[in-house]
Amino acid sequence: CHTSGMLTPNGKEYAQKIPREELTHLILKLLQAWKEPLSHFNQHIEHHQELPDDSLSKAKQISNMVHELKTGVEKSMGIISNSLNGMASSEGTALSISNEANMMSDSDFIHCFRRDSNKVQSYLKILKCRIMPKNSC
Amino acid sequence: MKQRFISSVQIILQLALTTVGLTGQSYPGKPQIIRCRSLEKETFSCWWKPGSDGGRPNNYTLFYSKDSEEKLYECPDYLTSGPNSCYFDKNHTNPWTTYIITVMATNEIGSNSSDPQHVDVTSIVQPDAPVNLSLETNTSANMSYLWAKWSPPLLADASSNSHEYHYELRLKPEEKEEWETVSVGMQTHYEVTSLQAGAKYIVQVRCMLDLGDWSEWSSERSIQIPKERLPPEKPTIIKCRSPEKETFTCWWKPASDGGLSTNHTLLYSKEGEEKVYECPDYKTAGPNSCYFDKKHTSFWTIYNITVRATNEMGSNVSDPHYVDVTYIVQPDPPVNITLELKKSIKRKPYLVLTWSPPPLADVRSGWLTLEYELRLKPEEGEEWETIFVGQQTQCKMFSLNPGKRYIVQIHCKPDHHGLWSEWSPEMYIEIPTDFRVKDMVVWIIVGVLSSLICLIMSWIMILKGYRMMAFILPPVPGPKIKGIDTHLLETGKSEELLSALGCHGFPPTSDCEELLIEYLEVEDSEDQQLMPNRDTPTKNMKIILKETDSDSGRGSCDSPSLLPVKCRESRGLPSALQTQDVRAKEKKGGKGSWEAQCTASEQKTLPCNSESTKSCTWLAAQLPSNQPAMFSYHSTVEAFKITLNTTNVNTSPVLVGNEENRQSLYPIAETVYDDVQKISEMENSKTDQTTAQVRQNQHNDKTPFLNPKLMDYVEVHKVRHDEEPTLLLKHKENSGKTKKCTVPGTNKEYTKVSTVVDHHILVLLPDQRTRNTPVSQEPVAETSQNPQQSQGEKNTSYNTTAPSDSRRDTSGSDYMDPSSFMPSFK
Repeated sequence: CHTSGMLTPNGKEYAQKIPREELTHLILKLLQAWKEPLSHFNQHIEHHQELPDDSLSKAKQISNMVHELKTGVEKSMGIISNSLNGMASSEGTALSISNEANMMSDSDFIHCFRRDSNKVQSYLKILKCRIMPKNSC
Repeated sequence: MKQRFISSVQIILQLALTTVGLTGQSYPGKPQIIRCRSLEKETFSCWWKPGSDGGRPNNYTLFYSKDSEEKLYECPDYLTSGPNSCYFDKNHTNPWTTYIITVMATNEIGSNSSDPQHVDVTSIVQPDAPVNLSLETNTSANMSYLWAKWSPPLLADASSNSHEYHYELRLKPEEKEEWETVSVGMQTHYEVTSLQAGAKYIVQVRCMLDLGDWSEWSSERSIQIPKERLPPEKPTIIKCRSPEKETFTCWWKPASDGGLSTNHTLLYSKEGEEKVYECPDYKTAGPNSCYFDKKHTSFWTIYNITVRATNEMGSNVSDPHYVDVTYIVQPDPPVNITLELKKSIKRKPYLVLTWSPPPLADVRSGWLTLEYELRLKPEEGEEWETIFVGQQTQCKMFSLNPGKRYIVQIHCKPDHHGLWSEWSPEMYIEIPTDFRVKDMVVWIIVGVLSSLICLIMSWIMILKGYRMMAFILPPVPGPKIKGIDTHLLETGKSEELLSALGCHGFPPTSDCEELLIEYLEVEDSEDQQLMPNRDTPTKNMKIILKETDSDSGRGSCDSPSLLPVKCRESRGLPSALQTQDVRAKEKKGGKGSWEAQCTASEQKTLPCNSESTKSCTWLAAQLPSNQPAMFSYHSTVEAFKITLNTTNVNTSPVLVGNEENRQSLYPIAETVYDDVQKISEMENSKTDQTTAQVRQNQHNDKTPFLNPKLMDYVEVHKVRHDEEPTLLLKHKENSGKTKKCTVPGTNKEYTKVSTVVDHHILVLLPDQRTRNTPVSQEPVAETSQNPQQSQGEKNTSYNTTAPSDSRRDTSGSDYMDPSSFMPSFK
């Protein structure tokens, strides 16, 4: 995966130890790193006739969701630290257009995306429970 | 003689013998040769069995002879083969001769010899069994061999030739029944290959010479074949699970171990790394498992896990198993399931089920988020109802039936990829039945009330059903001829009847043609007049019907008997109610009582003649006792409508004689005339109803609506132009009616009444012949204006044109000749 190079905590304790800003930074970076591959993938599969229509629409939906999520995180967390967010964006973009990102096969793409989205989900949940411990945590 | 003597001697001897035998002494019993056998064809032995020994020691001697020689030889050797045997050694054995052998048993008393036995040496050859059977196994290259060795049977004479025996071997696994027999040939060893590893085999051999029989089987020898020793089979990894997304465990299943103890080791490597590690903990999770604790667990990396089984013969490795811990999370079931019964506002109880996440799952930090699902079924039911609850840890259940027992279970799963946990142990729910006495009371009351209401309704129906039916579905009136009173008919008094009809003199006189109803001529006769009828003692409003002019069948334009009719209360004609009334509104008091305004003048006389200021107006008052006749009619529509008075079934017309003060207005079916407005007189015999009001020059009387039934021509007597124009109608002379007038005399003052307004105003049509100024008032309802039209519209069967034509035709006349449309009339 093109995001494998990122140093992300891969356990609960590590994730809990990281300060919030860094976690946010990681999240944003991850989200940004997928922007380009997603659109690339969408274009790619449009030419695949054998896929059912709802797959295509689903893929587009997912790209939108990622984008919205990124925007949402930025907005909600941007209060904390703007500078980091900017960096995250640039780093993410760098990853996004890297060679590896372009060379991914479809199955690799899906596999890596699934993993990274799971990562993002877990980090966000930890953040949420850290910031607002009351809500269903 | 001799024979007798001999036989007697024998008897005596036998007796002597038996006596001797009884005393225990006799000569020996007959021996018997059991068998003779040769071991190798060079020697043989015979054995015999002694008979009864007769109480004394016996001596046995064996005699034999060869072939057919007579010479008897005695056994050469009694000892070698054992007691009661005889051994013939080589010198005495001749394979090609037949020996006849007998054995004699001798004792002091006597002797006895056996039956002779013919023995052919060659046929009695049977060697001994082989000896020294020994077995060995050999395993090489996964094959086990059985190696059997033995020795030929022993011979008494060691120096004898070594004979060639044929051998046979048989073996079987210990548990089995059937022998496997192998022919070995002449060698004294054999190798068996097809053996079950691990089984115990039993082996025997036997031998045979060229001639003769097989020897007995040698004694059994057994041997255990060792099991195969193999390297172990490939183990398989069953599953890996993480209960709380922090640690995980893998389990494997070993395969056959090749008979030897095997060792298992688990090896893993992580994605992206080369290094291979071994399982950190084999014990915690039980046999054949490996537990990875927190330190060794990494997420979002793929583990490559294999298991190796090793034994003495070798080792075997399972297929690799790739696992990412994130996706193998299967929590424990939820715990702390509690039930609480709450009562809602409406007192229907509902259940609140609460639970907690499993203890290991760290939900508080958000690392693991669980979703829950419930399933529910009645205790006896078969299908579960599954309810997805989401992330909340409590659930309100409203849909449970009181009194039933339910089983409920909960399970959970991580909100992302993961596996559902096991179902929690069953919880039983029972809702207490809330049997409210109050509810039952309410129901009972409701039931009683409704039954009461039903009873009342049915009672009402029974009592008044008829009337109600009449109300709802008014009976269709039969045709009514004006002036005919069925009662009169019944009574059979023709005179009365006819007088009622207005016919004077019956059988018809010469002017009966006039009586014939060929067509109905609407005419106004001078006799006609509105007559207020005042003289009814009662308050009855009598509306004098114009029986004459109405379609009584009289063609004459007289209006005979108008006068008498008028004021007679007894006279009543049913009149068609054609209510031209525009304002059908008033029915006074529901009874539609009209007030005929009559001049207050005397009833009997010709009221209108008088110069009284009172004006006569007519109101047709109809007193429907029950219902109003449909007075309202719109000229356009209902010109011909005869509204029936449905109230009174009593079909007596307006009574002659007014017997009962029952109002009887009958719309007359003739309806011929209605177009022309006539001021009809109706006699109303209603007692209580209407009050005759003489209209006193005031308009603001409350005017009951006029029922211009039969609008007839009324001769205008006078027109008064003071304050309001009113018409004073001339009273017609009730002259003889024989005058037949087809056309009303031009000198008559006829005016066509256009309409009646306000119940007291006649609106006249302008007519050159009349000198009446028409009171131009807006006819509220145009009736005579276009009577024909109204009729025409009314009844489609009309020849609409005809009337109008006829109307026009009768330009001279101001009335319409109903004959024109009569035919179309039914």
